[in-house]
Amino acid sequence: MKESKYIVDTTLRDGEQSPGIALGIEDKVKIAKLLDELGVYEIEAGIPVLSDAEEEAITKVIKNKNRSKISVWSRMNIDDVKRSIRCKPDIIHIGMPVSYIQIYSKLKKNKSWVMKNILECVDVARVENIDVTVGFEDASRSDIGFVLSIIKELKNAGINTIRIADTVGVLTPKRTMELVNTIKMNSDMRIEMHVHNDLGMAVANSIVGARAGADLIDCTLFGIGERAGNCNFYDFIYACESVFQFSMNHKQIRQVEKLVYSELSGAM
Amino acid sequence: MIKIIDNTLTTLDRILPSKEDLHTFCQLLFTLGVDAIEMSRDVYERMEYLPDNQKFILDIDLLEERELYPGFYRYVSRHIVCDDNLIYELQMNDAREIVKLRALKGCKELRIVGLDDLICYDSFEKILQEIIDFLPKTSVILCPENTYGCASALAIQWVTGFGSNITTSFAGCKNNAATEEVMVALRLAVRYKISRDLTVLSDIKKLYEKFISKSIGNKKAIIGSDIFKVEAGIHADGINKNPATYEAFDPRIVGGKTELVIGKHSGTRSIRLKLEELKLPVPGDFVITKILDIVKEDCTAKRRSLSDTEFVGIVREVIRNERKQIHR
Repeated sequence: MKESKYIVDTTLRDGEQSPGIALGIEDKVKIAKLLDELGVYEIEAGIPVLSDAEEEAITKVIKNKNRSKISVWSRMNIDDVKRSIRCKPDIIHIGMPVSYIQIYSKLKKNKSWVMKNILECVDVARVENIDVTVGFEDASRSDIGFVLSIIKELKNAGINTIRIADTVGVLTPKRTMELVNTIKMNSDMRIEMHVHNDLGMAVANSIVGARAGADLIDCTLFGIGERAGNCNFYDFIYACESVFQFSMNHKQIRQVEKLVYSELSGAM
Repeated sequence: MIKIIDNTLTTLDRILPSKEDLHTFCQLLFTLGVDAIEMSRDVYERMEYLPDNQKFILDIDLLEERELYPGFYRYVSRHIVCDDNLIYELQMNDAREIVKLRALKGCKELRIVGLDDLICYDSFEKILQEIIDFLPKTSVILCPENTYGCASALAIQWVTGFGSNITTSFAGCKNNAATEEVMVALRLAVRYKISRDLTVLSDIKKLYEKFISKSIGNKKAIIGSDIFKVEAGIHADGINKNPATYEAFDPRIVGGKTELVIGKHSGTRSIRLKLEELKLPVPGDFVITKILDIVKEDCTAKRRSLSDTEFVGIVREVIRNERKQIHR
């Protein structure tokens, strides 16, 4: 019997961040409905803090959902988390910079600040009984010791799923394997792989991550996303549906791609 | 030592480029750091001669063709197993076929083509090691095919942990690993050929697009024309503070540059940066927020990002309206 793996589709969030497109409310509702029918486990619907229109789109996606869980993306910022709560999603995903370059150079803060902030943000969401997942931004360039220490704190705060984000797309299969294996050996966190295609290795790294124990794999339709894009949903399923059990097959994904091509073609 | 054979010039028989363009293409590939270039007989005949002091490989069917086409570093054949200056090419579509390798122990140089789905196997690293173990005296060149989008990853895995020779093609045009992806990944992972000038990739791309009369996809890793565009506010801000926060490598090393695009995901910082880039006066926070609100509305209505001209139009309109308010 094949091991089950679950797709987190981020076409409506990371995919839409690809310069060239801007999805309207009805576009998001249409795409989410098709992804829901396809059996996608989680649909990352967008970023509420972007605008009132974005919040309205997400709220409509949530209202129309059937099987999929709907998540929203939030910065590690209490105001952003509060705005996310207003949408009443199934999951709030909070992005947490974990590499030193992101913490010290971009945020101009330190590790303690980051740790304190994420725990506060998690608490704000969990008080409202909303499930929270935490995304380790730039995990591929992070210090594994720091990552493991955050996992311990997050576990104590009630978090069960973390996203390993290869934010700049530098992972290779070997590094992916090492990273996931190390986390699996040191914790019982559920792992979500989120990789970018900067070196043309997004599909391979997602497969290796799944092989190493990641249960959730982030994909986008047509592989759209920042820079060279994210893991291509169709390519990923086509490559490993003989190895893993999914809720959909590659032919069904192709059908959905045909139906949403006009909405997403600007990002290709 | 890692060696890369590029076989792009075995794919152009139906659209043979000019002699001059083929010579330029070879020169650019060597500048990039490719160790040997493989070509078809038709391409060689169009080139008329081989440039000096470089390694070229020719695809042949019969052993006698070596005499007809002298001067090549190696010859590749799918029919002849073992001879001097010869690389035997073996198609292997399934990892279970590696037992066949036991019969090839006398082979000096072997190229394995295929193994598309190898990375899906739990034991793929063990299988790569078995290839080496079966053929301890053979120089094995891996040419993973890309049916499942994993060829470049597999090529990197091979040369960083097992063998040292791979065959690739520009943009992965022969359904194998993409030369440019492998070159950049090796530079980042093992500082391979760090002094090579990868900016020639933009010239190689232009020439290759001329050969095939088509454009390479905008989002193609390393060489796509849109891959260094950035719109999301958080990323634009990060790149401005320190490009390394959101870029795996400096786009300039591959002949590209970061471009700030204004769109639905832009933030106030992006608006300021764009105004500075366009050498326009940067107004106060209140006006910036107004500009951003209209940008978001406009992008959602247009279902796309804005051109610089459209952005300037919005800025002028907002500032004009603000002045009217002040003069009332």
